[in-house]
This record gives sequence, C-alpha cells and structure tokens, in this order.
Amino acid sequence: MSETMDMIVEKDKKLKEGWEGISRFFRANSLWMLMYCTGCCAIELPQAMTSRYDMERLGMGPMATPRQADVLLVTGYLSVKTLRRVIYAYEQMSTPKYLVAFGPCPINGGIYYDAYAVINRLDQYLPVDVYIAGCMPKPEAVMNGFQDLIDGIKNKTADGWKRYRDNYEWYKKNQVESLGELRIKDEFHE
Amino acid sequence: MNKHIESITQAVQAKFSVVAVTPVRDDQAALDVKPGELHAVLSFVKAQGFRQLSMLTCVDWIQDGEFQLVYLLFDWDKGVRLQVRTRIDRKHPTFTTVTNIYPGVQYYERDVHEFFGVEFEGNEMSFKQLFLENWDDIPPMRKDFNSKAYSDKKFPVREYHKDFSKEGDGK
Amino acid sequence: MKQVKLFLGPQHPGMHGNSSIHMYVEGDIIKRSYLLPGMLHRGFEKTMENRTWMNNIGIIPRICVPEPDPNEMVFASNVETLANIEVPERAHWIRMLILELARLAAHLMAFGGCGGPTGLYTAMYWAQADRDGILTLFEEITGQRIYHMYIVIGGVRKDLPKGIEKKILAYVDDLERRLPDYEDLLLNNPTIIARTKDQIMLPAEVVWELGVTGIGMRSSTGKAYDIRKVAPYARYDKVEFDVPTANYSDAYTRIRFKWLEMHQIIRIIRQVLVMMPEGKVREKGLDGNALRWQVPKGQVYTAIESSRGEFGYYTVSDGGINPYRVAVRGASFPQGLLGVERYLPGHRIDDAALWFDTMGICSPEIDR
Repeated sequence: MSETMDMIVEKDKKLKEGWEGISRFFRANSLWMLMYCTGCCAIELPQAMTSRYDMERLGMGPMATPRQADVLLVTGYLSVKTLRRVIYAYEQMSTPKYLVAFGPCPINGGIYYDAYAVINRLDQYLPVDVYIAGCMPKPEAVMNGFQDLIDGIKNKTADGWKRYRDNYEWYKKNQVESLGELRIKDEFHE
Repeated sequence: MNKHIESITQAVQAKFSVVAVTPVRDDQAALDVKPGELHAVLSFVKAQGFRQLSMLTCVDWIQDGEFQLVYLLFDWDKGVRLQVRTRIDRKHPTFTTVTNIYPGVQYYERDVHEFFGVEFEGNEMSFKQLFLENWDDIPPMRKDFNSKAYSDKKFPVREYHKDFSKEGDGK
Repeated sequence: MKQVKLFLGPQHPGMHGNSSIHMYVEGDIIKRSYLLPGMLHRGFEKTMENRTWMNNIGIIPRICVPEPDPNEMVFASNVETLANIEVPERAHWIRMLILELARLAAHLMAFGGCGGPTGLYTAMYWAQADRDGILTLFEEITGQRIYHMYIVIGGVRKDLPKGIEKKILAYVDDLERRLPDYEDLLLNNPTIIARTKDQIMLPAEVVWELGVTGIGMRSSTGKAYDIRKVAPYARYDKVEFDVPTANYSDAYTRIRFKWLEMHQIIRIIRQVLVMMPEGKVREKGLDGNALRWQVPKGQVYTAIESSRGEFGYYTVSDGGINPYRVAVRGASFPQGLLGVERYLPGHRIDDAALWFDTMGICSPEIDR
C-alpha cells in the first residue's frame, strides 16, 4: 500500500514538473513588457520595436497595465520619486514577474553617484534579473539582454520574484531606510 | 555693445540709480540694481520692448553672505538680451514677487524657493513642494549642502569583494 | 456631478516622458489640473558644480534626452565667451550640420508621436524608422547614437569622416521624397483633422503671459520669432531658410508646422554641405591640462533655438576649475508647468496626452 502511495506522489511530482516546464517555455516566448519609461535609456526602446531590430520576433510586446504585464523595464537611473512609483507598480504585477535594468546607473549609481536624488543600487530595493550594459545601450545590446532573460526563464535562473517573496522584510527595511515614506499620504500635495 | 543695448542701458541709468553696468557680449549686458528698485526697472524695460522673461535664477555667493537673483529678459523685435541682477541677504532671504509684471515667473519663483530657500511674498503657492518630495535637509542648491555626503548616507553603494587592480598587473 | 481625483500617472501608455498630471474631473471634462514634475529630477545643477569644465561635457547631453546637441552647444558657447576663444570657421558649419540633424530627429519623433494619443500607430513607426537613419549617421560622425559629446569648447572634437556628405545627401533626398506621404498619412486624415482642427487653442495673449517660445509662439503671433533669425549664432545668417508663421494656433497648425519646418531643415543641410570651407576644426584656447582648465570670471547666458523653443544655459564662473553655477532654461518649462495649471482645464481627459504632444513638452528638461 505504501509503495503505491509513494509511486503516486512521485508521478504527481513528475507531472507537475512537466507542466511547469511547458509553462516556462510558453512564458519565455511571450513576454509582455510594461509601458513605463523611467529614465533616459527608454529613448532606444522605440528603435528596438521598429522593424530594424524588432522585439516582436522574440515575442515581446508592450502592455498598458501592471496587472497584465510580465516584465518591468527599469530604463536607466531612478530618482527617489520614481522609485516609490516603481515599487508600487512592481508589487501590483502578478507572479511570475521579471525585472530588467538598463545601463550603469542601477548597478552602482553611474554618472549620478554623488547626486542627492538618485539611488545607487537597485538590487537593494527590488530584485533584478538581467543587467544590460551601455550608456545608453544600443538596440543590439537590448535585444541581447532580452535573449538572456528568455534563456534565464527557461533555465529557471530568473527567479527574482521568488527572492522578493522570501526576503520581503529585508527589501522593505532597505526601502524604508532610503525613501522614508513609501506610499505618500498626500499625493496631490495640497 | 550694439546700439540697441547702448540705448536701453543709457535709458535705465538716466532714470534709476544703477549699481553697475557690465557688457557681456555684443548683444547682451548686465545691470546690477538695488532690491528696492528692481520692480520699477522691470516695469520700465518691459514697456521698452523686453516682453519675454526667459528665466529667474539665483546664485549663492556664500563668501559675501548674499544671494543674487538674476532676471533674464529678451526683446524679440530687436534681438538683444538683458540680465537684471540684485543681491539680497542670505540669512533671511525674502523678496517680493514679480508676477504682476511677468505672470510666467510664478513657477520659477517656486523653483528658487525650493532649491535656495528664498521666500517670495505675494506668491503663496511657492511654499508647496514641487520637485522634491519629503525633503528633510537644507535647500539643496546652497553651497553648504554636501551632495556626496547625503548620497552616501542615504543610498548604499555596491562593494566589490574582488580587488581588480591586482589582476591588472598580469599576475 | 461629483468631482473625482484622478492622475494621468507616470506609468501610462499616452504619457511622454516621466511626469504625471493630477486632475479633478467631472464626468469627462478636466476641472483643475497640476503637473507633478520631479520624477526625473537628478540634481543636475548640483552635479555640474562638482565636475571640472571638461568633465561636464561628458554628462550634460543627458539633460534633454530627445535632442542632446543644444546642451553641448550652449555650454561651449558660454565658455568661449568668457574665455574669449575664437572658434574656427569650419567648426561653425559643422556645428550647424549637427544641430540641424538633431532638430530633424526631434521633429520626426514629435510628429510621429502625435500618432500615439490619436491611435494612428503607423505614423509613430514610420517616424521612428526614419529617426533611426539619422542616428546611424550620427554614429558614423561622432561615434555614438544618442549622446554625442561632439561639440566641445573651441570647436568640434574631430573632423567629418570621408564620404559622409554623400550619405547625408542620400538620406535627405530619400526623406524629402517621402514627406508628402507623411502629409497624406497624418495631415489629410479625417480622424486627425476632427480631433485637432480648432482644438487646443493657444491665443497670442497666453503666449506672452506664459513666456512660450518656439512653434507655439510663431503660430499664434504671426511673427518670425526664431532665434536663428533674430539673434543668429554659428553662421545662420549666411544660409537661406524660411520660418513658417500663422495667426491662428490650433493643434492642427502646430503639427503642420513641424512638417513644414522639416522641409526647411533639409534646405539648410543642403546649403551647409555645399558652403562648408576647409580648415581646422578646433581651437584649444585655454592652456594647460584639459582637466585643470580655469575659465575667467563672468556671468553669461546663451540661448539657441531647439525644436521646442528657446533653450539656454546661464553660467557663472569664479575663475576656478569647476563651474560655480550653471542654470538650465528648459524650453518647455512655461507651458509644462503654468500652462497645465491654467489652460488644460476645460479639455477632455483623452485630449490631455494630445495637449502634451502639440505643446511640445519634454519632461527631462523641466526636471533637470
């Protein structure tokens, strides 16, 4: 009796892994990116969408709302005001979700390392899956980065959302330390 | 200085007590006036054709203990530019608004208030935040505000655990 | 009807750049609105005080992202006035070429960008594809697609590469042949005409009240108020071009002016390529190590005509190796802040994004 139970549990696990492999394959080939241009590097995104470089052959297309998007592109530097709204948008996206950071500014501050309004390290506040180099990165570098993300999804290495869920208190502590208030009570400043 | 600039500076010097006139370029000159006369000077030059206020900005002369407010004016018909400057005290910086002469200066005064701390009487919107949110330090464009120290205190930097300089020696 | 608080937030498919409008709406009509700037605020003016004069050239293109070359031009122009440096003749013409190509790229992006809020995405894709051709030309001339760092103190960094004139002329001929297609797509389209004719008016009194410059000023006052004609810089007085003007400024006229100005830019580029003399392209001017240059004392303001209006820098130098103060005058500061507060109410929510497009608002130069 117990062997049959073990065999059933084993088969169940294999079936689940099989389904997850299939869903990872579909997920990787049909990514929707959120339309949010947070900084300078977003100027090269329309070039990546037009027919010379064409993001859509990788399956990526723009999407208007965070609830239905998979990828959040942090294009360039993040000022403190924008980071509050990006955290808000990231938490509204449903899992599994991915985050791609462009340029040297989210890595270590970039050219704004001593600016009073720009953060230095993005992965203190949000989990990053892929970094793309360049100031600003050419569309070929952007396409390369997206291909890295797709490979990462297929290999199970792009799991930023799992890290966010497991280390939630650590991320929140860093966010509150640097930003102060996360949800501005008086948004309209009246 | 070309003849349009000559004529306007001479007209202003005839009517008001100008502290200094500095030619900057062929078509640009700078007038330093006393704070009490600034409104009258601006109204006068506006009537002479300088209908556009390009910008209001502020310079922090910390050694002298003064702020210098600079009004940049342009005359589109003659193509000449005027800088009208005045100095106010740095410890208690207040000034009256010029929105009755140039209405478009309202947001420039809010900008100067937020970054330098100058209070403009008559512009009651200028006490609300505009570019910064939940700011907890002195106005950031002042010379005694250290931007790098603030950034290091609030935003941690990445530490590199590998010493790349040793690898570069070819070892 | 009750008034609802709404924000056309930073994350929105119709927003240009990263800023949000806070509004009170009643049904569909906006009753009160304010712009919330500061999402792109980097504290640039403070950063510029902490870098040397030569280092600053590397970072200032990032102030205005769609059209970075006016930044370099006004900065270099300020230092040349303070230090009395005479720019060589060939450098003036090369600067004109670069500035006009940048204007063309920015006009294309703005013209196609009007397709976004109205639903005509074809215009956006065509315009971005043509802008890509200009960025490839920039890559060949300066080494970078978007941020060039090519116009430096004393001239330009290097001479033009061999054979570039043929490529520029080929590109410009091809674009001019296709500009009637753009007109047919966007300006003769009944939907666009219904949405923009006699809408989003800009009367002349509003222009003088806010301090609007550029296409908004020329299309409502009827005068050729263009800095290239009124106070010319860099040999603009030697080339022939027209400046379109009108007495009635609705959204349709302003979009049409962008199309008309593209023809004039092509005319200027053709003349510049023919009239450019030979010679050296850079005058060193200040002696010593470039990272330890000291510029003489003074306070000067330079403004040039960018695609959106008067764009200028006010530089203060006290004789040191860093600038003492640099203040940036963004071309869309008046209409972006006071214009949204006073003149956006009364329009519908779906026209808010179109208002931003046709007034020529670019967020990074407001926030710095």
